[in-house]
Amino acid sequence: MNAGIEAMNIYCGSAALNVEELAKVRKLDNDRFANLLMKEKTVPMPYEDPISNGVNAAKPIIDSLTEDERNRIDMIITCTESGIDFGKSMSTYIQHYLGLNRNCRLFELKNACYSGTAGFQMAVNFILSQTAPGRKALVICTDIMRLGAVDGSMELAFAEPSTGSGAVALLVSDNPVVFQVDKGANGYYGYEVMDTCRPVPDQEAGNVDLSLLSYLDCSENSFKEYQKRVEGADYESSFSYLAFHAPFGGMVKGAHRTNMRKFKKARPEHIEADFNSRVMPSLIYCQRVGNIMGATAHLALASTIDNGTFDKPKRLGIFSYGSGCCSEFYSGVVTAQSQAKQRQFGLDKHLNDRFLLSIPEYEKTFAVNGELKFGTKNYKVDRTQFADAYKHVKGKNKLVFSEIKDYHRIYEWV
Amino acid sequence: MKNQIIGLIKENLIEIMPELEGQEISVEDTLVDIGANSIDRGELITLTLERLNLEVSRIEFAKAQSIKDLADMMAEKMEKR
Repeated sequence: MNAGIEAMNIYCGSAALNVEELAKVRKLDNDRFANLLMKEKTVPMPYEDPISNGVNAAKPIIDSLTEDERNRIDMIITCTESGIDFGKSMSTYIQHYLGLNRNCRLFELKNACYSGTAGFQMAVNFILSQTAPGRKALVICTDIMRLGAVDGSMELAFAEPSTGSGAVALLVSDNPVVFQVDKGANGYYGYEVMDTCRPVPDQEAGNVDLSLLSYLDCSENSFKEYQKRVEGADYESSFSYLAFHAPFGGMVKGAHRTNMRKFKKARPEHIEADFNSRVMPSLIYCQRVGNIMGATAHLALASTIDNGTFDKPKRLGIFSYGSGCCSEFYSGVVTAQSQAKQRQFGLDKHLNDRFLLSIPEYEKTFAVNGELKFGTKNYKVDRTQFADAYKHVKGKNKLVFSEIKDYHRIYEWV
Repeated sequence: MKNQIIGLIKENLIEIMPELEGQEISVEDTLVDIGANSIDRGELITLTLERLNLEVSRIEFAKAQSIKDLADMMAEKMEKR
């Protein structure tokens, strides 16, 4: 039997910022900034949170199912580092707002940016175990970072343009039309390292250099483990495309360059051409959304499926990394049918539909973000504050976050 | 040995940042002051380890601030090999 992704959709908010413009305003070195391969980022609006994003990503998938198929969803795994409560999982809200069956496992899972892969692999193994034949799992990878006032230090200055907001929803089943996993073709690599973390709910901390070095170590060692488990696996010829967890494009480019030199003894010109043909399709969406942490690896996968050429079935390699750390290299097959199904959701159109904020409008979000801290007991979202962006959701059957009442979050379809 | 490693680090740095060609590069200045961002620094460590044939986790060099720091740490690993 086979397992993998039956359907996948993204929701990356209603407002974005041109980060090349931001870099100029923040006086970052523009020549070097171009090498980081960042274009836009999604900026979270007050009426968006990880739950509304997750529901909006999943809704078109759920709407495409029959009632019988919907009732076959046996679990909802929310993969995140942006939880809104230490006890209650976001899956409970997501089940409620999607109107899903109550005979369903609901839980949340964490390991920094690796969470999406962790959840996906748990879902795949649930399907492959055949303990509940014909059943499906809904995996929601959703992360958000509400930035406050920006620190002027160099490393954090570069973190500002790279941090995004959004969600990827994956329906995992024994009908993997969109992405069929290679069973057992998984190389994992993890160890304890204090690279980056969220010691308090609304703030990133850590050491950028350590994180980059750990990412490079993992991208090499997870593939070495994959090679041990998959006879004859070759970093170049086995995969038509590679999709990486992308904190920003420049980091992916660095890891690809290192691995091509290490595994293939490739020359710089060859590496550059290989990057453009095998890796670049994965970055097209990531460059427009920014790092959405646990959801980034699957955003890169969605980008590859939409932007690659699939005249025949092709194998994709995926590298996922989460600080702290855990990583995995795994693979699967995408066909022309996968691309046709994926394109029905119009992901490119969704990204084009976001309202482009000016720098002053963007900076206005900092004050609201300060009011929406973890543990807020009561709060009413003022939708008139960002009226131009709000027009991009109003009347489009999207879920918006409207209120916190005695810690309980309340949402509305608009 | 250490001088050779310093020479190799400088060569690698120029390969990564060609704009430094012909400039005086201080081994004491921080790599940040020389203009190397975190990707450049990661690349520098990777390339130097490869060219020294050293199989050591890159994260062990995260604390290196300058070319001299990096050379000291790498020389120590070479001796232990």
